Amino acid sequence: MNAAYSLDHRRQMTGMSFVAPTVLLIAIILIYPIIQSVVLSFGQSSIDGSEPYEFVGFAHYAKLMGDERFWNSMAVTFTFTAISIPLELMLGIGLAVLLNESFRGKGIARLAVLFPWALPTALNTLMWRWMYNADYGLFNAVALQSGIVDRPINFLGDEWLAMFSMVVVAVWKTSSFMALIILAGLQSIPRDLYEAGRMDGMSRWQEFTQITLPLLKGPILVALIIRSMDALRTFELPFNLTDGGPVIATESLSLYAYKVIFDFIDFNFGAAIVVVQFLVIFAMSLAYIFVLRTRN
Amino acid sequence: MTKRPRYGLYLLVIISVVISFFPIVWLILTSVKTTAGIYAWPPQYWPTPVTFENYWTIITQSPELLRYVLNSFIVGVGCTALTLVFGGLAGYALSRLNLKFAGFLMVGILAVSMFPPVSLLPSLFQNFLQLGLLNTYTGLILAHAGLFLPFTVWMLASYFATLPVEIEEAARMDGMGFLRIFLTIVLPLSWPGFVATGLIVFIFSWNEFPLALVLMTQNAMRTAPVGISLYPGEYAFPWETISTATVIAIIPILIITAIFQKQIVGGLTAGAGK
Amino acid sequence: MAIVSLQQIGKNYGSVTAVHEFDLTINDGEFLVLLGPSGCGKSTTLRMIAGLESISKGTLEIGGKVMNAVDPKDRGVAMVFQNYALYPHKSVFDNMAMALKLQRVPADEIQRRVGGVADMLGLTDFLERKPAALSGGQRQRVAIGRAIVRTPEVFLFDEPLSNLDAKLRVRMRMELQQLHERLGVTSIYVTHDQVEAMTLADRIVIMDSGVVAQVGTPREVYDDPATIFVAGFIGSPAMNFINIEPAGDYGWKSKDSSFAISDLNGFDTADLTSVTLGIRPEDIEVVARDSKTGDPWCFDADIRLAELLGADALLNLSVAGEDMLVRVGGVDHPERGHQIGIRIAPARLHAFNPDTGKALPRIQKH
Ligand SMILES: Nc1ncnc2c1ncn2[C@@H]1O[C@H](COP(=O)(O)OP(=O)(O)O)[C@@H](O)[C@H]1O
Ligand SMILES: [Mg+2]
Repeated sequence: MNAAYSLDHRRQMTGMSFVAPTVLLIAIILIYPIIQSVVLSFGQSSIDGSEPYEFVGFAHYAKLMGDERFWNSMAVTFTFTAISIPLELMLGIGLAVLLNESFRGKGIARLAVLFPWALPTALNTLMWRWMYNADYGLFNAVALQSGIVDRPINFLGDEWLAMFSMVVVAVWKTSSFMALIILAGLQSIPRDLYEAGRMDGMSRWQEFTQITLPLLKGPILVALIIRSMDALRTFELPFNLTDGGPVIATESLSLYAYKVIFDFIDFNFGAAIVVVQFLVIFAMSLAYIFVLRTRN
Repeated sequence: MTKRPRYGLYLLVIISVVISFFPIVWLILTSVKTTAGIYAWPPQYWPTPVTFENYWTIITQSPELLRYVLNSFIVGVGCTALTLVFGGLAGYALSRLNLKFAGFLMVGILAVSMFPPVSLLPSLFQNFLQLGLLNTYTGLILAHAGLFLPFTVWMLASYFATLPVEIEEAARMDGMGFLRIFLTIVLPLSWPGFVATGLIVFIFSWNEFPLALVLMTQNAMRTAPVGISLYPGEYAFPWETISTATVIAIIPILIITAIFQKQIVGGLTAGAGK
Repeated sequence: MAIVSLQQIGKNYGSVTAVHEFDLTINDGEFLVLLGPSGCGKSTTLRMIAGLESISKGTLEIGGKVMNAVDPKDRGVAMVFQNYALYPHKSVFDNMAMALKLQRVPADEIQRRVGGVADMLGLTDFLERKPAALSGGQRQRVAIGRAIVRTPEVFLFDEPLSNLDAKLRVRMRMELQQLHERLGVTSIYVTHDQVEAMTLADRIVIMDSGVVAQVGTPREVYDDPATIFVAGFIGSPAMNFINIEPAGDYGWKSKDSSFAISDLNGFDTADLTSVTLGIRPEDIEVVARDSKTGDPWCFDADIRLAELLGADALLNLSVAGEDMLVRVGGVDHPERGHQIGIRIAPARLHAFNPDTGKALPRIQKH
């Protein structure tokens, strides 16, 4: 063919042309908007571009620092993350160990734990909201009929109960994802280690703490980081469960940003919020990549 | 080897399965109750009578709920097709063509895949508004494709890396160019990877919420999760309709997950282990 | 058919140099074997000729044309891979026909050429099968057939027999030999198996860490290894090496033992302070103890271990404190614990400069 260029050069050009559509689309959908958000956050402008962009420096950020509702949403987000992740991790490890056993009906069991992950969070949340319902929900029906309580519990109407209810939905949905990742790690542990352990007279519990857990460090770390980043940007869960309520007790950072942008129609201030959120999550993702790189 | 008692194991398995299934089962039960049954006291644990009137009502009186499902389907298929084509080519180049910046690009792609979607909203909404892409399938398909391309590239690149490279080299010797190798050798040999990736991307797209919420503002263009979530806002909260619509919207995912369980689990764990 | 000329060809992977200046002309119709341990750069060299790797420096000519930047398909070369590299989703016929189809050869001619080659290789009955339904030997035949069908100027083989079991390997080796005689196409063949190299090659190139250690006929590399590396690599079991140094009037003496030798039989040792002596296990014979007093090539030896291989036996000897391996006939070989005499064939002795690894020249005798 074209012998004017070296083999390597032609290969590079072909490769670049294969990568180009992907890089272009990612640049348009993911990278450019972030840059634009940064620009928006430093200025005052109108949505449709009818008014010229006016640079205001750190004004929005200064306002953000004094914004109680912003700090509330940070606190909500981190509380939610800090409570749900350890629970998911414990349940995930438990489920993974369970699913690693061989028993009849294992296929069904694995499918069962996969379903909550596979369904849309928004719709999962609706299912739970229906069960939490103060007047007609399943939980209150059972609690009232069995006499545990004599007045219906307002799950979503109390600050702490609402947070707790939200955590339950998240844990229900994502423990299975944790379990699957950890299960893959479990299956890569050589069986003869357990046989050696048995020869040494280890109990089941000792097998778990002496062999399984130490060898699962890697997968657990991966699962933890992926899930933390997910939890830090949680949106449709509070959107559908409580709409951030009662008042703002479950208003996550994402939800607050959304409301500022689309309910209060303040794109510039909203942009400042999402930039902060982006920085927090991006720092975490860099840590994630760093951890993975050092592992390999 | 001595068998240890397994009753405890089965008990734990049954508990896990029940907890996982329960909200779904309760939803389905709700959807086949009469409206009176749903709001009855004492509560109806088992629907009496079992009725499909809610489904019939949706079909005859709220066809927009079916439209949501159709929208989700169109966007999901479009997004899956686009990501597989783009991501397949990119993954192939990144894993096989010794690209100079391959390592940098892979890490970069991994990094951008973690961008929070809400951070994209102000800009995407504004740009789509100005480009006339709001409330179009093209718009949401492009947005979802951008969002899920990183995952696709990683999945497929690591799948290609498992194929024996010599077959492609033999194809080079036979006189094929890289595009032809990709289309006639790599594609047929890696269809399990494409199936797993495609299924997961389809599920991702079907489930995606914030972008679908913001980029489809007209009721008729909403995807299922968004449409159903916003449905009650317009009247009181009609649980008989919501539960039924939700069942309809999750059935495709339940079926896909059940049939392709192995592929999905394999793909997910491979993707996360990278 | 063509002459292949490698002029100072080298390959770098970043800062790693896989192949240093490789300089060689491969004659028209020659069967050249690249031999060396794993990782020495054989495949890299072959793949640069194929066009699967770019050439970092130097010039590659095939049939007189510079090929550095030419696509693999336009180089007139065909390659047979170790793992067969057949298209698993295509039939044997389609595998063999692929290159011709891509060249837009008319269908009836493809039919004829593939049919002919399939006939030659005994594949006619399998043309409709997928590779998965073939045995290892049949798959390798398809891979070879796919190369032949193209009537290339040069055949390239990268360890084509390594995946076959021992018996099949011997048979395919002979088939390759016959094929080469019949087609007479220039062939470059990579292997780490010295038996394959010795039996197939017109000339062998022995590579060591990316450097050509020696080029020669099988006879030459066995009889006159140019370096310690070649001497140790060719021959099985490997050559015995003993480090000796000058010991005044007594001739030469081992550093670590009492092994001594009066004369280096005409090697040009110049004024080296140390020499590595090389003796092949098959160049030592067992003689009666003390039978030839006065013969400087006779030594007393203790048998540490005797291993029967079948036709032959290997004796692990201690000769004046030096370990030495000797190959003897398998019938009635001396047993472990016995004391024997041995005689080293002086004409078959090798000597090397231990610092450079190079063989010492012999002083010409007239
Ligand atoms: N793509 C590559 N990148 C870096 N080093 C390589 C690459 N391919 C081969 N090498 C190195 O080059 C050397 C020669 O490899 P190769 O030609 O495959 O050896 P052989 O075929 O003789 O076993 C080895 O040390 C190998 O590690
Ligand atoms: Mg090799």
